[in-house]
Amino acid sequence: MGESLLLNLVLWLPLAGALILMSLPRVADQTVRGITTVLLAIQFVPALLLYGAFDATHTGLQFATDVPWIRDWGVAYRIGLDGTNLLLVLLTAFLGPLVVVGAWTAITSQVKLFHVLLLLLQFTMVGALVSQDLFLFYLFWEAMLIPMFLMIGIWGGKRRRYATVKFVLYTAFGSILMLGAILVLVLAQAGQAAGAMSFAFSDLLAVPLPAALQQWLLAAFALSFAIKVPMVPLHTWLPDAHVEAPTPGSVILAGVLLKMGTYGFMKLGFPLFPDAVQTFTPVLMTLAVVSIVWGACLALVQQDIKKIIAYSSISHLGYVMLGLLSNDLAGIQGAVVQMVSHGLVAAGLFLLVGMVYERAHTRELAAYGGLARQMPVYALFFVLFTLASVGLPTTSGFTGEFLVLLGAFTGAWPQHLDGNQLPLVLAVVASTGVVLGALYMLRFALTFLFGPVKAPHDTALTDLSRREQAVLAVLMAAILWLGLFPGEALRKTEGASMAYLQQITTSRVPTDAR
Amino acid sequence: MPGSDALLAMLPEHLLLGGMIIGILCALGTRTRALVLPVSLVVVAASATAAFWLAATGVSAEPFPGQYLLTPDRAAAKGWLLALALPVLLMSRVETDDFQYPLLVVCSLYGLALLPSAQNALVLFLGLELLSIPVYALIVLSFRRPQAAESALKYLIMSGAGSALFLMAMSLLYGATGSMSADAMEQAVASRDPLAQGAVLLAVASLFLKGAVVPFHAWAPDTYEGASIPVTAYLATLSKAAVLVVALRLFHGIVFAGAMADVMAALPLVSIVWGNLAAIRQPSLRRMLAYSSIAHAGYLFYAFLGDPVGREQAVLFYLVVYAASTLLAFAAVPADGDDTRRDQLDSLDGLFRRNPLAAGLLTVAMLSLAGLPPLPGFTAKFVIFKSVVAAGYTPWAVAGLVGSFLGLYFYLRIVMRMFMEPGVATDGSAAPEPAGPGVPLARLAGVLCLAATLGLMVAPGWLLARL
Repeated sequence: MGESLLLNLVLWLPLAGALILMSLPRVADQTVRGITTVLLAIQFVPALLLYGAFDATHTGLQFATDVPWIRDWGVAYRIGLDGTNLLLVLLTAFLGPLVVVGAWTAITSQVKLFHVLLLLLQFTMVGALVSQDLFLFYLFWEAMLIPMFLMIGIWGGKRRRYATVKFVLYTAFGSILMLGAILVLVLAQAGQAAGAMSFAFSDLLAVPLPAALQQWLLAAFALSFAIKVPMVPLHTWLPDAHVEAPTPGSVILAGVLLKMGTYGFMKLGFPLFPDAVQTFTPVLMTLAVVSIVWGACLALVQQDIKKIIAYSSISHLGYVMLGLLSNDLAGIQGAVVQMVSHGLVAAGLFLLVGMVYERAHTRELAAYGGLARQMPVYALFFVLFTLASVGLPTTSGFTGEFLVLLGAFTGAWPQHLDGNQLPLVLAVVASTGVVLGALYMLRFALTFLFGPVKAPHDTALTDLSRREQAVLAVLMAAILWLGLFPGEALRKTEGASMAYLQQITTSRVPTDAR
Repeated sequence: MPGSDALLAMLPEHLLLGGMIIGILCALGTRTRALVLPVSLVVVAASATAAFWLAATGVSAEPFPGQYLLTPDRAAAKGWLLALALPVLLMSRVETDDFQYPLLVVCSLYGLALLPSAQNALVLFLGLELLSIPVYALIVLSFRRPQAAESALKYLIMSGAGSALFLMAMSLLYGATGSMSADAMEQAVASRDPLAQGAVLLAVASLFLKGAVVPFHAWAPDTYEGASIPVTAYLATLSKAAVLVVALRLFHGIVFAGAMADVMAALPLVSIVWGNLAAIRQPSLRRMLAYSSIAHAGYLFYAFLGDPVGREQAVLFYLVVYAASTLLAFAAVPADGDDTRRDQLDSLDGLFRRNPLAAGLLTVAMLSLAGLPPLPGFTAKFVIFKSVVAAGYTPWAVAGLVGSFLGLYFYLRIVMRMFMEPGVATDGSAAPEPAGPGVPLARLAGVLCLAATLGLMVAPGWLLARL
């Protein structure tokens, strides 16, 4: 009971913080940053406690709260943790204070508004993760757009208006079709439950649906989630949004927001429509592998340092999708780890890029060179995060990608024996993504850090401050922890991964229509 | 006893009537004229309270059998509509300090109050005319501006044409069925008789005309543009609500099928799409909100596709949310500069730096109108589309949802103007907010609407259970 209160605290604290900040009439910028950091640090404590208290042997929902909200429709305030969202909630709460501290000097105008929006964003992200009610989930899912829209639009780069409108219109278009699918799904559920509507995930996951209907509904859900992930060919909003967003915006976008798409697939999209998933798996898997390879290829040729990391995100999230579709426990667990790992690594890389951008004010890769000599500590961290992104053993990136590929091959092998070559071919192609990943990251590090010293605008670049070092060190520690000791995280998510595997492999076509 | 029934059941109307008389008496003396607005406010508030009280005590009465029926549901609807008139009255002082405005609004509200209880097409007609006639005068009231006369004339002619269509429909209905009650309409919708079908078609056309649904919408942008802001606010919210209430009464319990269902789906859909697209290009706030209201009329009439059981709830909920958000937008538009300046959308550029409160309120209003969760505009759309899907019109619902997506852009543009444009140079010498007596009142109107909007966001179920 007490622990479910803790989960509510994790959810509502940022909103309370935003309201407190708004009500302060005139405050110094430093105070605003300080208050936000403290609030988000406080948010992390209960999240960590909940992680510790999470019972790995218990597969159902833990720390749940269930209060009726809109009785007429069976909508309730249902929140809780399970193995699917546990790590992501922890990741979100972990990144919160780091974003504020890491980008302490990145935002200089309208500081209060920025931090209010940051707290609101944190609130909606945690909300979308912990919701166990489809109506509530949709509210949080869409509400996330508003603070991000303003963040990119107000503090972004030159083409910020274009980027932010593109971001909102892309994601909102997916969501509007998902809304239609939600209506159909809920009414189908109500039809079978004698008119009593319910939006609870647990109820909706038990609705038998005809195969054709499942395909339509999955298409609508998948469009929305695939835009958010983003999967090729729906990815074009991401580079624009990333490049134009201010550093903290990019960090949150890469660190947490993109995971919403893969989380949506794992929590809702696939388990709700298992028969349609089996039909669509070849298409979706191909798209995932195309995302891996195409994202890596695009990252290889970028001249803008933020774009390199943006495209690398597309590639890394392709692995998550591949793992989720692998029909193998290792692959699914790898996907879960990869989500967290990418959150940590991409956040670190965007912080690093933001730090150098603050000093030199250009994102042209060609303008830089020999940073290792000017900023040795920076270079050290940059190499460490590069290696984590590449997936060097001992870092979290390795755990994630290795398990995903292992799962992809294990899942593909029996099908190969049955004469279906596609999964195996896809798994092999996906493996080349690892090589491509090493290629673009090392090219980036090489031109960036080594070679002749170039100083953009002839400014001498100062090395990292204590604050910046501390943030990066904490992130790195988390990456190494997940890389060296993934056991506990894997154990806590195993139950949910098994449940997911069982859900997507159990047909839910009504027996009379089979 | 019918006499006491009429006294009790029509209490809200009686209070409004009393208010009108007191208002007219106050308007006679030059010194007492200032009292007209407070009197109107008190009377409207009292009348709304009376309606809520009737709903809460569960009074059901039919003082005029076959003409006027009061049930708790209808009393509640009446109460909400009247309560929405309060911000309309409050925000008027910024534009006009005339005594005519509140007086005419109260007169018009009398017609509005009749509508939810009307059992007969003639009573509906009476209510609609009582509502419209003071509005012609209201538009001309802002005669300082050249467009006002054109605007009033357009509204007069189009509204007159709408009334004529309505009357024609009723005479055909009477000819076909011998009655003008809602039951007669039900018979007419079901029958194959060309006379009866003509009646239905004309009735729908007249409601679409008055509610500004494409292709009968062209009067709305011109009229809204010509009228002053509080009048536009009244036109866009309560006057539109009245048309929908008429539609609810007239088509009470009727399921549209066949060709008629296609008409009831296609025109509102075109309205949604066209309203949302045309709004993008409007440089004027009122024209933009006019197109927005055309789109919203589309959503509202979409609800008539659905199951008649949940229809009233869906439409009334949508009306309350839509009206609260629209009134919030009108109340929050800052009062600096003259009317023409106020109407230009580029005057909103950089508003957040100059006036963060107004920018915040306008943002809430725009996002709610856009239907972006978690604001109540979303819940309202959800109710409507839920009923459409439940009625089996899923492709139409999806088309409507995509149409509503098109509307996102122009609402976001307003938010972008306020937050992301540099705006006029703010070197500290920016024009100080005119400290007229109207500004605090308009602010109060804004706060009321904000409270309603946020309340509906947190507890939509509370209102849904009471409609």
